[in-house]
Amino acid sequence: MTDQSTHPQGDDDAVEVSTQPPTDQPEVPWLRLDRRMIFVDALRVVLTQAPALIALLVVGVSASSVWPLIIFGAWGVLRSGANVVRWVRTRYRVTDTYVELRTGLFVRQYRSVRRTRIRSADADARLLQRLARLRRVTIGAGQMNTASEAAIRLDAISLSAALDLRRELLGTQAGDTTVASAPATEARASEARASDSSPVRSQELARLHWWWVFYNMFSFWAYVMAAGLLWGGQWIGAMFGLDLWAWAGDLADWEALGLLGSIAVGLALTGVLGVIGMAFTFFTEHAHFRLERVPSADGTVLRTTQGLFRTREVTRDDRRLRGVALSEPLLWRPMRMTDTAVITTGLSMWSAAVTILPRGPRATARRVADAVLDEPSSPLAAPLRPHPPAALRRRMVWAATASAAVTGLLAWLGATTSLPHDAWWITALVMLPLLLSLALVGYRALGHTRVGRHLVVRSGVVSRTTSALRRDAVSGVRVRQSVFQRRLGLATVSVSTAAGFGVYEAPDLAARDAAGFALEALPDYVRPFLTHSTDETAPAAGAAVPAVTAVPR
Amino acid sequence: MCSRVSDPHDLNLRRPRHRVERHAIALWAGRALSAVLPVVLVLAAGYAFWDASRPWTGPLLSVACVLGLLYVAVMPPWRYRVHRWEVTDQAVYASAGWFVTEWRIAPHSRIQTVDTVRGPLDQLLGLASLVVTTASSSGAVTIRGLNPKTAVQTAEELNKVTQNTPGDAT
Repeated sequence: MTDQSTHPQGDDDAVEVSTQPPTDQPEVPWLRLDRRMIFVDALRVVLTQAPALIALLVVGVSASSVWPLIIFGAWGVLRSGANVVRWVRTRYRVTDTYVELRTGLFVRQYRSVRRTRIRSADADARLLQRLARLRRVTIGAGQMNTASEAAIRLDAISLSAALDLRRELLGTQAGDTTVASAPATEARASEARASDSSPVRSQELARLHWWWVFYNMFSFWAYVMAAGLLWGGQWIGAMFGLDLWAWAGDLADWEALGLLGSIAVGLALTGVLGVIGMAFTFFTEHAHFRLERVPSADGTVLRTTQGLFRTREVTRDDRRLRGVALSEPLLWRPMRMTDTAVITTGLSMWSAAVTILPRGPRATARRVADAVLDEPSSPLAAPLRPHPPAALRRRMVWAATASAAVTGLLAWLGATTSLPHDAWWITALVMLPLLLSLALVGYRALGHTRVGRHLVVRSGVVSRTTSALRRDAVSGVRVRQSVFQRRLGLATVSVSTAAGFGVYEAPDLAARDAAGFALEALPDYVRPFLTHSTDETAPAAGAAVPAVTAVPR
Repeated sequence: MCSRVSDPHDLNLRRPRHRVERHAIALWAGRALSAVLPVVLVLAAGYAFWDASRPWTGPLLSVACVLGLLYVAVMPPWRYRVHRWEVTDQAVYASAGWFVTEWRIAPHSRIQTVDTVRGPLDQLLGLASLVVTTASSSGAVTIRGLNPKTAVQTAEELNKVTQNTPGDAT
């Protein structure tokens, strides 16, 4: 009943740490990390110290104002020394059943992972490492996203060694017994290469288009980034004796513009700076972006590679995939800006690994989602059944009540305390239309349907999310009805699942449709609890209400 | 619930077969009191000992007293009418709540753990709760106010059934 693989603790069982090697195989040699790693790191130290040297020697600033740079330089030297020690201490080897890592000079510590537990072997590199043809290999076991602690990390080995290692580990992942009987490394490597040329080829699902930058530039974070850049610039400038604030004050005649004018100009300029910064970040993060479906030993995986200076590669097992969710932020609805994420087990929905596309146009998101789901009729393009107008009434009532409550509170405070007397009706004038229009937007975002193997639900005001979930991933159904909903003839149906957020909700359905939708989610299990027998075979697209035939019980 | 002609506002779900124990009303009343009393006591203490706060603790105290009394008097019998449970050979079905009614269905093939829980108030009143969890963090079905023997028996039956049902429950 309780299966180990459903609990996110695979890491503890997969990695073994001890003072003895797990297997005693003297004929398999211990390999070192690549020697070039030391030189690459030393070069990085020199580069980090360059600003301090320039400041001291060229510009001639006194030592007291460059103390932060001196600290950075010292830290760089220490890090470089630690890297040399690490290179001396660390060795690794790959045997038939384990990947082993040995660290330590006097007291040896062995860290090993069973090869059958390895789920991912990612090779990434920073800019300098890429130039030196080095890669940092991160081997993951069990259920892990790329942000958590890896089972074994090799930083850094040469590019060819990294590619060979990846091929060897992922190619023979199935624990093929015929391969294990061949002890020589060459035989294993050639076997892996042979199994790679399987008839199923890699399928590329998406590639970066440069004009996606327009979907990523304009965001609230642009202002945050601009503020950060300006503050950093001011601080660095102070070290070199420049005052950015005074220079900006000399740029224009701020008194003539007045307070509002200066604020407007300031906001516009920082906005422009922030937008440029966001565009720059977009290109460095998502350069060479590629989403592809790649065959692996037991199926296929979805792999994304991206990055200009530092390539990040994330693989997601297709066997764990349970659906796709598209979310559209409210303010950018005319632009059809869409985020695409997969609903999968084994990855936290808040991690970056569930996003398979950068923010982009809805057409691309739909196309990629259809390719990922691979269904004969696309679940995300199907028309959704609208929810009854009573749902709009419910939302309007909540909007009106909330504004009335806030207005009443402000009126009472205005009368009893020193708050301005006019605050209440100004707030009401602003709040009521805003909340009512948000209620309308929220109502129009509601929808649900079933298409083939998938359930599709859509809701959300600030971010309208359409989630398509496989019906066989549903582990429970919940129908909620409050007293108000009962009077309006509404109910909310939620399906719980092990994947994604855990629960996906279709709010405010018509009460007589709620049981029908629950039946579509769990066909065999809900039927005994219905009062009327409902015809479950509702047509997939454009259905209104499933046919209800009243059978006396 | 009074019987009436089924109107289109009705859900198509029938009620689960079994009610919970009648003295679960005392359990819910006890929990309501433990939530309301501290608030009332703090407000009363403020009203009694701190004269400057009387303008706002006074009305708040009366509101809290009235609402608290209504809550303790109305909620437990309402809950007793709504809380029901049923275990078939395919699924666990339970309804719970008072102002908001929730019907939950969990198939046996998706059940991961079955626990019987008895809090201090449960032990005083001779009751138990049955908690059935599934692979989803929000899919748990909790049935409060059961007879302890019934709870243990049902838990054992569920354990037997789920062990025989194949699948890894995700």
